[in-house]
Amino acid sequence: MMALTPEFTPGQLVSGDVVSVSLMAPVARFSLRLRAADIPAVSTAIGVDLPTRIGACAHHETVEVMCLGPDEWQIQTDANDSVRLINACAAIYAQVPHSLTDISAREVTISIEGPGAVDLLSIGCPRDIDKIAIGTGCRTVFDGVSTVLWRDGETRFRLDIWRSFAPHVIGLIQTGCAELAAQ
Amino acid sequence: MNLFRIPGQGRVDPTTPVEFTFDGKTVSGYKGDTITSALLANGIHLMGRSFKYHRPRGAVCAGSEEPNALVGTRRGAGQFEPNTRATVQEIWSGLEVTSQNRYPSLSFDIGAVNDRAYMLFSAGFYYKTFMWPKSFWDKVYEPFIRSAAGLGVSPSENDPDKYASRYLHTDVLVIGAGPAGLAAALSASRAGLRVTLVDENPEAGGTLISEPQTIIDGVPAWQWIDQTVAELISLGVRVMTRTTAIGYYHQNMVGLCEKLTDHLSSPNANMPRERLWRVRARQVILAQGALEKPLVFDGNDRPGVMLAGSAQTYLNKYGVRVGNNAVVVTSHDSAWYAAFDLADAGTKIQAIVDTRAEPAVELVAGAKSRSIRILSGYSATGTQGRLRIKSVRINPVINGKVGAPETLECDCLLMSGGWTPSLHLFSHTKGALTWDADMQTFLPDRKTEDCEIAGAGRGLWGIAAALNDGAAMGAVAARTLDKVATNTVYDVTNDRVGTGVSHTELPTDLDPGKARAFVDFQNDVTAKDLRLAVREGMHSIEHVKRYTTNGMATDQGKMSNMNGLNIAADALGKPQPKVGLTTFRPPYTPTSFGAFVGYHRGDHFDVTRKTPIDSWAEENGAVFEPVSMWRRARYFPQNGEDMDGAVSRECKTTRSAVGMFDASTLGKIEIVGPDAVEFMNRMYTNPWTKLAPGRTRYGLLLGDDGFIRDDGVIGRLSTDRFHITTTTGRAARVLNMMEDYLQTEWTDLKVWLTSTTEHWATIALNGPNARKLLEPFVEGQDISDQAFPHMSIVECTVAGFPARLFRVSFTGELGFEVNVPACHGRALWQTLWDAGQQYGICAYGTETMHVLRAEKGYIIVGQDTDGTVTPYDAGISWAIGKTKPDFVGKRGLERPDLVADGRKQLVGLLTQDGKTLLEEGAQLVLDANQPIPMKMVGHVTSSYHSDAVGRPIAFALLENGHNRVGETVYIPMPEGVISADVTGTVFYDPDGARLKL
Repeated sequence: MMALTPEFTPGQLVSGDVVSVSLMAPVARFSLRLRAADIPAVSTAIGVDLPTRIGACAHHETVEVMCLGPDEWQIQTDANDSVRLINACAAIYAQVPHSLTDISAREVTISIEGPGAVDLLSIGCPRDIDKIAIGTGCRTVFDGVSTVLWRDGETRFRLDIWRSFAPHVIGLIQTGCAELAAQ
Repeated sequence: MNLFRIPGQGRVDPTTPVEFTFDGKTVSGYKGDTITSALLANGIHLMGRSFKYHRPRGAVCAGSEEPNALVGTRRGAGQFEPNTRATVQEIWSGLEVTSQNRYPSLSFDIGAVNDRAYMLFSAGFYYKTFMWPKSFWDKVYEPFIRSAAGLGVSPSENDPDKYASRYLHTDVLVIGAGPAGLAAALSASRAGLRVTLVDENPEAGGTLISEPQTIIDGVPAWQWIDQTVAELISLGVRVMTRTTAIGYYHQNMVGLCEKLTDHLSSPNANMPRERLWRVRARQVILAQGALEKPLVFDGNDRPGVMLAGSAQTYLNKYGVRVGNNAVVVTSHDSAWYAAFDLADAGTKIQAIVDTRAEPAVELVAGAKSRSIRILSGYSATGTQGRLRIKSVRINPVINGKVGAPETLECDCLLMSGGWTPSLHLFSHTKGALTWDADMQTFLPDRKTEDCEIAGAGRGLWGIAAALNDGAAMGAVAARTLDKVATNTVYDVTNDRVGTGVSHTELPTDLDPGKARAFVDFQNDVTAKDLRLAVREGMHSIEHVKRYTTNGMATDQGKMSNMNGLNIAADALGKPQPKVGLTTFRPPYTPTSFGAFVGYHRGDHFDVTRKTPIDSWAEENGAVFEPVSMWRRARYFPQNGEDMDGAVSRECKTTRSAVGMFDASTLGKIEIVGPDAVEFMNRMYTNPWTKLAPGRTRYGLLLGDDGFIRDDGVIGRLSTDRFHITTTTGRAARVLNMMEDYLQTEWTDLKVWLTSTTEHWATIALNGPNARKLLEPFVEGQDISDQAFPHMSIVECTVAGFPARLFRVSFTGELGFEVNVPACHGRALWQTLWDAGQQYGICAYGTETMHVLRAEKGYIIVGQDTDGTVTPYDAGISWAIGKTKPDFVGKRGLERPDLVADGRKQLVGLLTQDGKTLLEEGAQLVLDANQPIPMKMVGHVTSSYHSDAVGRPIAFALLENGHNRVGETVYIPMPEGVISADVTGTVFYDPDGARLKL
């Protein structure tokens, strides 16, 4: 089990047969807000069809989008792609008003993988993990801390956590990993 | 050894002997034994002393409802637990068990003097005795009661164990794995549902374990349990043993406490001791069965007196006979079968004493075939024996008359007063109960949650009835969840169905006023106490309960409530439902604090938010303070400085050279959209329309009541984009308030809010050298005073990092605030720190920040305001846009009390001696010579020593303060009265010349 560094150095935090946890490399991340009528225009501009069901995700090349609310999406992409995204949105702003706000440094992401991943999430997340379909996600809480959970596979997840809350959440995740390993 | 154990009987593992200690003496049992079953196997019935009278007591039951056999258990250093129920705790080699409430020893206890004085300790004794003299309460009575109160010894060491918690979602949660619960889980899981089955015992089976003779669908009971559990597991059912459903909360949220290691001799160190489960179930099936009631008669609490069903359990589950020579006293058929099982196992049954005149024919036949004497229509009127029962006194009752006594010798007495459906969890839901006059008990009625009650919990009796009802309820739950389910009907042979009657205290030929006929064993409440309570005016069961403490012990009256109600109802001459039943509350059984605390202890007690620069502060010796959930550097002591020394140096350096401050905790909200400026106009008191992009303004936020809620500097980045800063503590609330208005009041506005607090690290540079330090690092902006005047904002690059640069000051000095993405915060800080050395830079903390801003008269919302302060009161009405049509709080500000004279207003205070530092929170008076209680006219909100001013300075909220400038107020303190001059709030550089460098 590796300690989380104050600088949030990416790398493996827990390795094991039951579950492994890694701090992922930073990505460009945006909060996108707009009205329902403008979804097609913005989708065209950014090159991804914005999903409209809360929790649904969409992907295109490096871009990943999760619908967090009726007028709210989280977009993430490769750092090299962020300028394209910003410019694409700026170009249509006058006709299609919206808010694209850079939140790249606001949060960090951990990956959780392994047969114990669902049990591990259940120590802090009150959601019914079974009901989160693969390829979808949700904004939820972990031990009372607001997080965004992505389900990438049956036993593969990502968890976005605001920076200042990350040591608390990751500390509990590590405690949970030790507990699962002891079972 | 184990003289009372029957080889080959019971479910303990005879190949694994276990030795533990009881009061220091080694006791042997087997794996699978509880403390009680092992003690009973060794012929030990005396296990503790009662709470009030210190009477010798033994186990009265075999389950979690045990009121008597409460012991201390120690598993290792720091792992002591008082009041462990010996009937539940499994033994393992090395377990240390001690008896409680005795001195010097269990068999000779000085406290037993209370028992002889029992006539003194009747109900209400404390209320009556300790009323007078009043002065005795603090010094004599209260300490005495304190030392006498409580059972067992509180642990004094830190608990080294780990505790865990999890959430669980399930379609059907079945509580209780007896016949009803097993059948219910089977029905629901066969229908294809996610099912969770929990039981507080180490293994599933419930009553079936005590009824091994039962044959279900041709399969013996124990084999049926094994094959059913195997099928459940194969169907994916989560079967959780040693798991108590402790509480049933709203919308089918059920709390479970799973005990993981208390039964293990050497558990894995990373294994939690207990795990709290928060279960959200779509359907709940309560299959908790029924609890046996004692009979109430003189001496019914002596060691060796036990519930008949429990004796049957000790025999069949543990292979332990509870005695050699038993008398059975009962009002229910079930005890007859217990007697038969014990007789068949070799215990001499002296007699079956039934309170009913005509027992069932087949019971009589069963007794006769075993040559057991039958005494029907009898009462029990007393027992003898000091530390163990030696005999019981019985009398015939003919036409209500109690006849001549007879004494029967015995070493154990098995009693049964019938069975009470266990409705605790149902009661947690506030489900209604209905009184069943035939059964003389409460049954579940109207439900408030999505639950079903199955089996003995709703008054059904017998294995077949429980199985079939469980199956039916499992099917009901499945159908409710849109599944197809079949109603399984079980074929049961050797079922022992039966009935019984209910009693108050049993009739006696002796003085009932002297009978020690216990109703609540744990709190030592007798039938006499209950009748006295009624005589003294307690007419509701709630009053009777509190006056006598009946049912108020940790067992929550599982055994005593119905007997208590029957007696109170009889004394009142009313039917039971008119007297009422007290409410059961969570937890169902005593639950450790650790289980509730879970992971939230030590470093993980609560969230501690840290800024990206926190690690630098830590490495550089910062002293921290908590500010809302954040920890912030308070000051940076050097060379052994105390706080005053450090703050004085930090203030001086900042005012004379340059200081740097981590302001990353400031809340930040990005406001974007074509209606952003309209939104700002409506939200904040200030006008925003004319604020040009690239400029900033102090923003003041009110509640709709007109009181100050928040403030901060707000920058306009472009026509449609604002960067708001809020106070550290209110960031989330401000965003919520804005979203609330936007989503409910102003849905027409095209504007969106995003929290960017954590995206940006914010470094404030203040002091005359601030520009010199910063200038070389800034690309894309000339930061001279002409090009970048006070209250400017720009997006540029600082030290190679993308930045939002503010020209702003919370110190009164030339100031900048650099925002860079949080991941670069520490790197920028280090760069500026290194470069700042040539300008004599210091890092300063929140304490210096407070002093510097106070010298300039800048308020801190939440310190100088308290939610009752208006902009006028605070002296910042200049921040209100007078010509704006509306803003949040505009109408609130017009309320008569907000415009009335005499409001508390923010003023400065200078102590007249020029030396005394006022205490924050100290009260102000206008006349120090007035009699106490004085009229208080305000209080000190901020107070610091100021080097720049050369004396202490303070702010205060003072009644009519703005008109009192120049007057004197007085601050009475324990050391004497301090006098202070009322002044304005700006103490330093009143013209603001230093800002404009």
